[in-house]
Amino acid sequence: MIAVGFVGLLLGVVIASLLLDIPLPEEWAAYLSLAALAGLDTAFGGWRAALEGRFHPDVFVSGFIVNALLAAMLAYLGDRIGVDLFLAAVVTLGGRMFLNLSLIRRYYLNQLALRRQRG
Amino acid sequence: MSENKLKQMTVFFAIWLVVGLLLGMAFKEQTRIRTAELPSARLPDLARAYVQEKRSNAALEEEIRQLRQRINELENAFASGTKQAQVLNQSLQEAKMIAGLLEVEGPGIELTLQDSKKRPSGESPELLPELYTIHDYDLLRVVNELRQAGAEAISINGQRIVSTTGIRCTGPVVFVNDVKMASPFVVLAIGDPKTLVGALEMPGGALADLKSVDPKMVQIRRLDTVRIPAYSGSTQFRYARPITTEGEQTP
Repeated sequence: MIAVGFVGLLLGVVIASLLLDIPLPEEWAAYLSLAALAGLDTAFGGWRAALEGRFHPDVFVSGFIVNALLAAMLAYLGDRIGVDLFLAAVVTLGGRMFLNLSLIRRYYLNQLALRRQRG
Repeated sequence: MSENKLKQMTVFFAIWLVVGLLLGMAFKEQTRIRTAELPSARLPDLARAYVQEKRSNAALEEEIRQLRQRINELENAFASGTKQAQVLNQSLQEAKMIAGLLEVEGPGIELTLQDSKKRPSGESPELLPELYTIHDYDLLRVVNELRQAGAEAISINGQRIVSTTGIRCTGPVVFVNDVKMASPFVVLAIGDPKTLVGALEMPGGALADLKSVDPKMVQIRRLDTVRIPAYSGSTQFRYARPITTEGEQTP
């Protein structure tokens, strides 16, 4: 399942950088980056959920969409009212990614320890 | 269960694919912005462009000089004709001399103004860093003083001072005739050297402040011959038109 995810990620990057050529307004670039960050966060969350055996596609998909939109909207709103609101999204999403990654790491370390004990 | 698992895998794959797409697009977009921006981030390119522009500028100025010389030759050729034409040409040359369109030489002075190498020390905190650099107003006062003392031609770093010359600080550089320059400034002036030096060295005069901060900022040399280049900028008038009085025709 994880491997499937990585293949998807790789494929996405390749498609975006080689095949897609959507000219975006420059002002959108920041929002796009933020949406990508939110997406990455959700993907990490999904990875962790999958490891813990409580992966729900509906939660996953809705989380992805809502988070990405919220992050982009925060950035937009921040731009309008002159507060760097996107920092809130960056800090939250970044922090959660680290948290998820640490849990994922622990999971694999546990697996490794268990296998050693058995073997 | 197996079907459920398949669905999960599909969703997982799809989301990671979209994340990958977003990341790739964002990455590409940022790269494009970085390369499309003004080349401030690409100093080597900028430096090359600058040198190129400077070179073409110099070439163009040389062309102007040659064309002006050609005009002179034509005028002289014209003047060798009738007596009337000679008189006309003489007054034309005088007018050009006044306008600063001819290269001239004669006795005069060379004044070098440069930023002080001294820095404000703890003992004299009242001396601001501004005092240690040459500004547009220093040059303006010098030019004004020289003119008052009867200087017949003045140039700053090779830029002839004419009636339309502006001297203006823009950030760390000074524009003279719309040409950028920085310290050191070499001011050449043709006139009676004694009078010119006297005017500049007047107590409380144009250079007194600079000298009191750092005497090394000011250097004056008297010269037997000073060569001052002709004005090489535009001589086109865009707004002003001569007024014709009755019966008189402007050329």
